[in-house]
Amino acid sequence: MRTPSGRSRKRLALGGKHVLLIGLSLVTLFPIVLALSSALKTRADVRSNPFGLFSSFSLESITRAWTLGNFGEYTINTFVLAVPSTIIVVVLSVMGGYAFARLPFRGRTVLYYLVIVGLLVPFFTYMIPLYFQLQGMALLDTLPGVILVMASTGLAFGTVFMRAFFSELPPELDQAARIDGASEWQIFLRVMVPLVSSGAGALAVFTFLQNWNNLLVPLLYLPGGNWRPLTLGLYLFAGGRSIDIGPLAAGTLITILPVIVLFVVLQRQVTQGILSGAVKG
Amino acid sequence: LASDDFATTPRVTRRAQARLGVLLVAPLMLLVGVFFLLPLASAVYFSLVDFHGFEADPPFVGLRNFVELAADPSLLPALKNNIVWIIVGTTAPLVLGLFIALLLWNVRRGSTFYRVAFFLPYILPATAIGVVWSWIYDPLRGWLNEGLKLVGAGAFVTGWLGNPDTALTAVLLTAVWTATGFVMIIFLAALRNVDVELIDAATIDGANARQRLRYVILPQIMPVFLMVTTITLIGGFSVFDIVFVMTGGGPAGATEVLGTYAYRNAFQLNRMSYGTALALVIALLAVPFTIGLNRLQRRMSLYRTGA
Repeated sequence: MRTPSGRSRKRLALGGKHVLLIGLSLVTLFPIVLALSSALKTRADVRSNPFGLFSSFSLESITRAWTLGNFGEYTINTFVLAVPSTIIVVVLSVMGGYAFARLPFRGRTVLYYLVIVGLLVPFFTYMIPLYFQLQGMALLDTLPGVILVMASTGLAFGTVFMRAFFSELPPELDQAARIDGASEWQIFLRVMVPLVSSGAGALAVFTFLQNWNNLLVPLLYLPGGNWRPLTLGLYLFAGGRSIDIGPLAAGTLITILPVIVLFVVLQRQVTQGILSGAVKG
Repeated sequence: LASDDFATTPRVTRRAQARLGVLLVAPLMLLVGVFFLLPLASAVYFSLVDFHGFEADPPFVGLRNFVELAADPSLLPALKNNIVWIIVGTTAPLVLGLFIALLLWNVRRGSTFYRVAFFLPYILPATAIGVVWSWIYDPLRGWLNEGLKLVGAGAFVTGWLGNPDTALTAVLLTAVWTATGFVMIIFLAALRNVDVELIDAATIDGANARQRLRYVILPQIMPVFLMVTTITLIGGFSVFDIVFVMTGGGPAGATEVLGTYAYRNAFQLNRMSYGTALALVIALLAVPFTIGLNRLQRRMSLYRTGA
């Protein structure tokens, strides 16, 4: 029964919803706002007035963290680690996903199962033997070692993810291309890959975030202190039990800001990656 | 589907496809083999010897590590914490996430902002989350204590992460904060497929909001509901990052979970074999749930194609 009073009640309900949603999102965002505020206050103000939000403005904490706290170097290192490992994951997952979805070859099922076991086994199950294995391969404490390990942790998800995209393409596509005289390699590269580029893009964003956030791999396999990324730098910086909250907040902000920007700009890709991770995973 | 298809393709094509297939999976299998399967196999070997990180030829001890595990007095408290984690860390995000998703459902204005706000905690690095929440829990300058004093609950003021009675709750609360957005975004996607006409019909039939949720909405999103439950549940066994960053398992083992206990044995006490045996047991504990999840997903894909 839609009476006028019913409609106004509906509008009131919507208003109530918004009030609740705004309240809840403010609570949710509070820790992030706190980091932002503490990073942008003067260091004296952070110490004397910890509860004032945005009560002063200064970039000194950011500059201190960037230079003295080495966060500038950590930022570069994070890109040096995350970009190549993301590229490896996307390229190998596109190749493998296509083969597992559309190319029949002996042992395909067994190999696919061997890859997706990776989704079931938590990293810490094999992190200890991997340490000694890397030592034996002379890859411990090296850039290629950490990049390859980081990439490997993303391959199971990437392969499953890309395989789903290739499986959804109609079979008539490659038949038509074959009649036109295209080789199998050309069908893959010219016909199929362009059709899954949105999926590959989502995988790239999702994997990049995972790699950016990864703490354990660099913590364990870069014991010498070279190529330290932001997560590890921040972890060690905080572990110093420093009372100097200002630069620590600035370091936190430097660590999370790229993640936030990337997420806000590429929201759709990130959610798509996570949704299919949950649904198809 | 695929095999029917290939039965009609000429042999030359099939051979070319097989060649390309092997070529395309080769680099993938190389990395998976070297950096996943090989260390996983060595994990089994590690658990059967007594290795402390330096022996060239550690002695074979059979199942002794596992026998010791069964009798380890520190293991039970860690397992108990995992169980608390599984129960609270699954229920709370599920209820909150569903609640927020229902609130957001059909809200147009500001929906992008809300989604970003609620989902953001889930994608932030655990290190940064740990740092910020440690300030919030700080005994002297923490916002939580300040807030409690403000509402007249000054009796509850404490050093949340340093007090063994509150540390687990505090870390769990942070974990709930990060997981809720994940649950919400999945429910929101599921709600998009809910038949709105059924709800309208129920409203006309006089069903109130609770009845509509219970009898109309929940049955339609049940597969997703079960799936999210299983995912967060499995995550409860292998929880590591957030505890490691915030408390490292302390104070006095109050937040120790199986994952941090395995880490501590291996890298602080140099008991590589014992830590690995424990890590293997954790992975195995989650297997029944993983199989359950797999079945659910198969059922769900049937459900989706049927819809």
